[in-house]
Amino acid sequence: MFSKKIIEIKGLHKSYSDHKALDNINLSIDESKIFGLLGPNGAGKTTLIRIINQILEPDQGEVKFAGENLSRKHIHSIGYLPEERGLYKKMKVGEQVLYLAQLKGLSKKDAKQKLSHWFEKLGAENWWNKKVEDLSKGMAQKIQFITTVLHEPKVLILDEPLSGLDPVNSLLIKNEILELKKKNTSIILSTHDMNSVEEICEEVAIIHNSKKILQGSINEIKKNYEENLWTILYSGNQMNFTNAVWGGWELKNHTNLNQNINKAEIKLLNDFTINKFIKGIVDHVEILEINKKIPSINDVFIKATTDE
Amino acid sequence: MSKIGLIISREYLTRVKKKTFILMSFLGPLLIVGFVLLTSYLSQENKEKYEILVVDESHLFDSILRNSDKYHLQWAPNGKNYDEVQEIFKKDDQLDLLVYLPLNLIKTNSMTAKCLYKEIPSTGVQKHLSSIINEAIELYRVNFNNIDISTYKSIKTKINLDVVDIENKENRNIQRKAFVGIALAFFIYGFIFLYSVQVMRGVIEEKTNRIVEVIISSVSSFELMMAKIIGVGLVGITQFIIWAIVTMIMSITIFPLIIKDKYNPSLQMNSDELVNNSFKIDSNNEAIQFIINEVQWSYLIVFFILFFLGGYLLYSGLMAAIGAAVDEEADTQQFLLPLTIPMVFAILMASKVIDDPSSSLAFWLSEIPFTSPIIMIVRIAMGIGDSSVEMWEIILSLFLLTITFIGTSWLSGRIYRKGILSYGKKASYSDLFKWLKN
Repeated sequence: MFSKKIIEIKGLHKSYSDHKALDNINLSIDESKIFGLLGPNGAGKTTLIRIINQILEPDQGEVKFAGENLSRKHIHSIGYLPEERGLYKKMKVGEQVLYLAQLKGLSKKDAKQKLSHWFEKLGAENWWNKKVEDLSKGMAQKIQFITTVLHEPKVLILDEPLSGLDPVNSLLIKNEILELKKKNTSIILSTHDMNSVEEICEEVAIIHNSKKILQGSINEIKKNYEENLWTILYSGNQMNFTNAVWGGWELKNHTNLNQNINKAEIKLLNDFTINKFIKGIVDHVEILEINKKIPSINDVFIKATTDE
Repeated sequence: MSKIGLIISREYLTRVKKKTFILMSFLGPLLIVGFVLLTSYLSQENKEKYEILVVDESHLFDSILRNSDKYHLQWAPNGKNYDEVQEIFKKDDQLDLLVYLPLNLIKTNSMTAKCLYKEIPSTGVQKHLSSIINEAIELYRVNFNNIDISTYKSIKTKINLDVVDIENKENRNIQRKAFVGIALAFFIYGFIFLYSVQVMRGVIEEKTNRIVEVIISSVSSFELMMAKIIGVGLVGITQFIIWAIVTMIMSITIFPLIIKDKYNPSLQMNSDELVNNSFKIDSNNEAIQFIINEVQWSYLIVFFILFFLGGYLLYSGLMAAIGAAVDEEADTQQFLLPLTIPMVFAILMASKVIDDPSSSLAFWLSEIPFTSPIIMIVRIAMGIGDSSVEMWEIILSLFLLTITFIGTSWLSGRIYRKGILSYGKKASYSDLFKWLKN
């Protein structure tokens, strides 16, 4: 079954006077999913996000929002938490969130109602009359998060939403993101925090040197980057282990953990299967544990952006 | 409320609610009035009495040179020559001035009297001395020629020249009205700077606070820039209206109490000018009356507002672009200078324009949009018509100002859009041109 696309990008180009920021980007983002937009610094992610937010115009290409050409009317359907974010320091928290909510099309009354819900939820009830300059960084981050999600956008674009947060608040925001996803919000998460990507994203795309080099579901991508690496924990002699099977594999790493206990990291070559390998060694050493080494998104990211 | 309305109201309210705004609204007029009073106080003679030693070589002046309490004349001892008297003058701390009236002074007009000083006397004192000497010589000659003193007084008269435009006789003595224009020109100059700098600061604040990207994901950057300019402009107009009202209230209530004595005409009549050679201090009231009656206030107020707004829109757009191009206020200097020069130049040229308000210098400076808000208001204050400025010139000037601020707003918008999102790099002129082209 094909899921509905909330954002479709075709042939997107954007150049600045001195360099190309986006080069023929094609991307589609499923509705109600958490989409990780990854890439090294300066790859073009922020430019892409700014184009979706209509802060910048593309030189070429098209962006569709829920099947329609992206236009000013979609502004209210998008919530954007930029990486470079802040608040008016001298303004009171309450005045400021109301102002930002109204800019996103909410009426004052609606905004007040929704705000009291969110303030309570994130433990910010007492901050209404505080000046922003009196808030800690974490508190300000929560306020920014609230102003981003308050108008219940269909698409939420979060650029490094967890940076600068302590582990407790980081978890809090992560859970909120997951809850919003359950309520059918489509979320684009741009971050360098690969653990979070792995934890909450369902699909990712990697942009590198202004081009999209990879897109797919987390599992698919990991599978594509699997190298048939296995770790084997065994008890016995290392010589017996290495000489038990001839050909079809190579030893990548070997560690003696404790007297007779060893850990080997092997790579199976071509069609040589793990079953064949086990058969070969089972009479020579005692197998304690076998694990297939699955690449992390971090590994995939590094490999994808350095293999050229 | 529309989003632009929302931004305008935020820009407006955050500024008018500030304590400094409220304080300045009431302190501003006080400061202006205080400054005027202070300058008039400081320009007053601070010396109560002048002791003046007179060397009268002809011995003809002692009976006819007018003596008074303030300018007390003493005659140099007989038998002492001019050089010796100078030594006496130097040694005697009580003496302030030494006036030397040479032998033939009274007979010919080719001689000059001398005044030697220890501390330089003000021009007022100098004028007084010269007037009493002239007066004495005249009285001597009246007497010498057997002219009756009352006949002489009836002949001696003070004539004011009324300079009138033949086409429009309402236009009289237009240079005297320029005072109002200069005052308004200073207001325009001050307000344009004060508030366009506020626009620039607001832009820098949004940029350094990093809130701008959130805002421009809701409205376009041009809308944000224009809303900010309008919001701050309204703050300027509000401040001006408050100042006008407060000044008016003060001029009705406090002002007359403070300056009652100083401007009381009956007191001034007692001033020591018997034979006057020009209209001077006692013309204060007359001048105020003249300004109130002769200046075309309705036109002046309308055009003041229009030129203030035009100038403000022109400069604040450019200031917004500067604010967007920098990361902190300290980096703005290099860009501010070219904007300041035309305004300062206009203020410096204002006196030349008053001298000849229909000259081509006056024409061009009041048509070029970067100087026109200041120069045109000076010319308008001097009267609309052939003598100073014609209506078509004002309309042309407003038209050029409007076109230019539309153009500069468009250019500023382009710089603003790029600059506002570029952090960490100090922008140069070449960056600005790059942003303009892109």
